[in-house]
Amino acid sequence: MISLYLPGQSWLHRCPVRLKLLCLAIASLLIFPISDPRLLGIVLIVVVGLYGSLGPQGLRQLKALKPLVSLVVIIFLLHIVAGSWLEGVTAVLRLVVMVLLANLVSITTRMDDMMEAVMPLFAPLRLLGMSPRKPALAVTLVLRFAPVLLSVYSSLREAYQARSGRRTSWRLMAPFLLQSLAMSENVAEALSARGGADGLRQDKA
Amino acid sequence: MAFWTRQNKDTKSKEAAIAADFDASDKPYAVLQNVSLELEGRPVLQDISLSLQEARVGIVGLNGSGKSSLVRLFNGLRMPTGGEVRMFGVSTEALREELPRYVGFVFQNPDHQAIFPTVEEEIAFGLTQLGVARAEARTQALAFLDRHHCGHLAEKPFADLSEGQKQLICLLAVLVMKPKLLILDEPMSSLDGLATRRIGRKLAKLDQKILMISHDLDLLRNFDRVLWVDEGKIRMDSVPGDVLPAYEADLEQRAERDPEGLQP
Repeated sequence: MISLYLPGQSWLHRCPVRLKLLCLAIASLLIFPISDPRLLGIVLIVVVGLYGSLGPQGLRQLKALKPLVSLVVIIFLLHIVAGSWLEGVTAVLRLVVMVLLANLVSITTRMDDMMEAVMPLFAPLRLLGMSPRKPALAVTLVLRFAPVLLSVYSSLREAYQARSGRRTSWRLMAPFLLQSLAMSENVAEALSARGGADGLRQDKA
Repeated sequence: MAFWTRQNKDTKSKEAAIAADFDASDKPYAVLQNVSLELEGRPVLQDISLSLQEARVGIVGLNGSGKSSLVRLFNGLRMPTGGEVRMFGVSTEALREELPRYVGFVFQNPDHQAIFPTVEEEIAFGLTQLGVARAEARTQALAFLDRHHCGHLAEKPFADLSEGQKQLICLLAVLVMKPKLLILDEPMSSLDGLATRRIGRKLAKLDQKILMISHDLDLLRNFDRVLWVDEGKIRMDSVPGDVLPAYEADLEQRAERDPEGLQP
């Protein structure tokens, strides 16, 4: 499951998407220049508090940081080697705060609301003769099919392991790519069966 | 009726004619005249002529016999390379872009059909395709899910559903567009016995005309008509009581004659 959205009715869920995105942008601009680790620490506490305001399941969403752990360690080690551990703390805190804030918007905003909010940004594409719906649809498809592709990969791995005894191999990449391409054809067909990426023309309804 | 005899360029009246004509249920919804289809130079369908008007039509045949290509002619996913396919009286060449409005299509693998991360978005998509605004589409989608006792699934990620729920949502995502004809390409092949029965009951209650490919012959026993497709041709076309036993006997005979599948 990759779709980050956390179903709920919290105040952040009810907050308009554009306002959330605007606040996120402003907060990022304000936080980025802060170089005092104490101040960043306070910001971090506030951000964690925001997660807390979503309830216990909100706090559980702090797990979004997990994939960052190795990156954080590397950044920190590099700073220690360079003899500037305090700067390391600042860099790590800044990164964590920014990621948590962005993630907070992701987990409290439905995909289609987000798409609708950013769709006007794609409006200039119309000048090039492209529908602004297409990039939005592309993002949606990525979110939808990431878990499907993961399960395709894991069944390939199981099939490989069942006959080789080994867990995984670079050799799985070729069949994985081929299966993904074949699947994308099926999905394209299903999309056209419901009227295609541009929708059914309205002047005819 | 003038509509049947001349190609109508004016879409508005074409739509009206389709609605009026098709609802008179004795009219065939699909007419194929000497249709053939080649894919990458390989003949897939050869000289098929038929006309369909029954409420429930089943299609049987081996893998690679051309069944899937045949049903794709009805919703414009494939265009015939010879002959003509007329849906609701209009050539699919002329109606191609509007066909999804009238013909719903449910695919074999629900994971290849669902486009959106959550159930409600998947249902609402069909409505926005028809021109309903986003917010209104969501309200309608939720009401539609409720009517079909799936309200509790609305916010769920599609990936988290059971196979039966996935296929049910795919079916609803098509039904919400109110098609006149529903085509199903082996819709039960990934489902267990319980989910198959549930979806089967749901299908039986629909007002839509149904055209269904199935390897599970039991699902077709109550149908009005069954087509047996074999090597790109219609080998038999009659009531299920005639076609299904003949098809099963042929399968038995072929397995007996060629147990290893060495002959083409």
